[in-house]
Amino acid sequence: MLSIMSFIDILHLALRNLRQAKLRAVLTTMGVVVGVAVIVTMVSFGLGLQGNMLARFKALDLFSEIRVFGRSLGNMAATTKDRGAGRSNEPSERRQGRLRPDNSPTRILDDTAVAEIAKIPGVAYVEPHISFAVYVRSNGRVSTQFASGVAVPNSSSRFQEFVAGKMISLPNTDEIVISERFAKDFGYENFPDAVGKTVELLAPLDEKKADKDEQSSADQEPANFFGIPLDDQAPDEASPEGLVTQTFRIAGVLKTEVREGPGQGGLRGLLPTSDIYLPLRTARAWTLEHRSPMGQVALELARGSGALGDSDTEGYDSAVVRVLDPVALTDVRKRIADLGFGSFSIVDELEQLRTVFLILDSVLALLGGISLLVASFGIANTMIMSILERTREIGIMKAIGAEDREIKLIFFVEAAVIGLTGGVIGTLLAWAIDGIANRLAYRFILKPQGASYVDFFSLPPYLSLGAILFAVVISILAALYPAARAARIDPVKALRHD
Amino acid sequence: MSILEAREVSKIYPMGTTNVTALDKVSLAVGEGQFVAIQGTSGSGKSTLLNMLGGLDHPTTGEVFFSSKPLGPLTKKEMARYRRYSVGMIFQGFNLITTMTAQENVGLALAFAGLRGGQRRKRADELLDRVGLADRLNHRPSELSGGEQQRVAIARALANRPKVLLADEPTGNLDSTRAHELLGLLREMVTKDALTILMVTHDHELATSFADRIVLMKDGRVVNGSDG
Repeated sequence: MLSIMSFIDILHLALRNLRQAKLRAVLTTMGVVVGVAVIVTMVSFGLGLQGNMLARFKALDLFSEIRVFGRSLGNMAATTKDRGAGRSNEPSERRQGRLRPDNSPTRILDDTAVAEIAKIPGVAYVEPHISFAVYVRSNGRVSTQFASGVAVPNSSSRFQEFVAGKMISLPNTDEIVISERFAKDFGYENFPDAVGKTVELLAPLDEKKADKDEQSSADQEPANFFGIPLDDQAPDEASPEGLVTQTFRIAGVLKTEVREGPGQGGLRGLLPTSDIYLPLRTARAWTLEHRSPMGQVALELARGSGALGDSDTEGYDSAVVRVLDPVALTDVRKRIADLGFGSFSIVDELEQLRTVFLILDSVLALLGGISLLVASFGIANTMIMSILERTREIGIMKAIGAEDREIKLIFFVEAAVIGLTGGVIGTLLAWAIDGIANRLAYRFILKPQGASYVDFFSLPPYLSLGAILFAVVISILAALYPAARAARIDPVKALRHD
Repeated sequence: MSILEAREVSKIYPMGTTNVTALDKVSLAVGEGQFVAIQGTSGSGKSTLLNMLGGLDHPTTGEVFFSSKPLGPLTKKEMARYRRYSVGMIFQGFNLITTMTAQENVGLALAFAGLRGGQRRKRADELLDRVGLADRLNHRPSELSGGEQQRVAIARALANRPKVLLADEPTGNLDSTRAHELLGLLREMVTKDALTILMVTHDHELATSFADRIVLMKDGRVVNGSDG
């Protein structure tokens, strides 16, 4: 025989008690509603902030890229700077200072090393960083531009959106990709006009270089980066001005990223942006052919000091390693360090950022927690009032055989009902507040700046459920003392007739 | 053999610096199927004794036995079960829950015993029918007369089939006609259903008319009739 009062019956009694003092129950519940709404709104704001930041990072490929550094020529030559003296691109300079490896590289990052890194499990591809300033002629205009090599095919988000044309189709074509700015600078009215047009890179005619040219093309092989473009593609030609030119065709115009509000935009991936992207091998060949005087000096110094063999060339100063899965990033990075290269990844910074957000979320939750604490005093107060009013009733229940446990349970269930109702309504309220705040923020802050809609508040299901659960638990805790007090009621005193 | 027995039961309440002795070594044995009336003036300790027997209070010294088993060693939980299944109590002020209907009041006692919905209503209806309130099932106490309220209380006290009914001045709030009707019902329950009743009253006439035996109490002691 079941000799325990069913939960349904206890719930019935609890609801009946609450109904008996409707206004009081409603006011008490309001306290919980406010408390939960504050907690949920606060935490969802913190989570939203965090989510937006992480999403931003993710969109910028910052989770899937590692920047690898080899021993630089400048280092070997014991001079200050590596090759590329003409480099004056400002963001590049800035980033050079910021993205410093956490361990100093001991190896030169050459093609062998690149191939070695590419073999590490989890690596999608390795993109050596090649960039140089160059005089460019297109559409009858000449100007200095900043050019970079790009791995083809490329899954980086930098090369996903084009305003016209498409990405370079094969690793060794004479196709290039240009930026919107480039197209405008060179007088292309509409972006589609630029597609298919030619771009000439200009370099001085140098006898020494010409020698090397022959040498390189002599030992060409497909797996080697050197020389291939020179033979397979448009060879350097002497221009009327007495310059070497190499002609390319524009395959696509990259969509320039729009800045969306403060603190957004900017860095995309771990490599600086350029206005011209050439296939990697072509770019490498170009830099080897047309070394700047400074780079040439560094190379000679390095060879002279014995850090570099006489026939060796300098490696890349850095490369971007793209991983297949951000989860594998840390492992890949460790393997790279084992190989003797320096590396940098935003994930390091992210760990610190996570800590900051954890603290922020905790502070926000604490503020909300305080308001729920206040509500819990309200619950305790309501319960005690209710006991005073229902002393006789509790006495009756005990006289007809209610156990202390059952008396307590009735009060706990009453408190839990208040907590649950308050929690659900509070969460709905927070949801409404979040929605309204998001829209207002869009309307009055983002839209006037021309930015797109962003969810400032993030309300994941676990936050809603967690808040409701928390409200129920707090409510039950608040009922601990009142329930114990109710169970202690002496039926003889309670039933003594007045 | 007695079903309910108080042996040398004393109850002493501390009142400031002095102690008030409400019961002074009271011994009383109630046989099964008896209708016993405890008569005495107010303050004679009769209600205190009834509360001890009903498991609502503990004696300072002495022991209460139910079916020869002492109540002293019972835990709080076992005490609750004793009140639920072994004895039923009714009071002068009825002590019904005013916001519940007759059926719900009786049902509450059944609910504590774990009876579920339909079963509970059926049993409550039977009990209310037994006390003559078949047509008052859904009335609240405020819609019932004093006599009717006490009948609801009786139905509730007997809900879980106790062998003993303890009645504390059950007719105290009733007029003479209603009082006679009510005691007639109790008498019938003793005779027909073999219920044991221990009733506290100060009304000598009612006691002599309906009880098998009268126990007189004065100043916390039993004056006569403690056995038999």
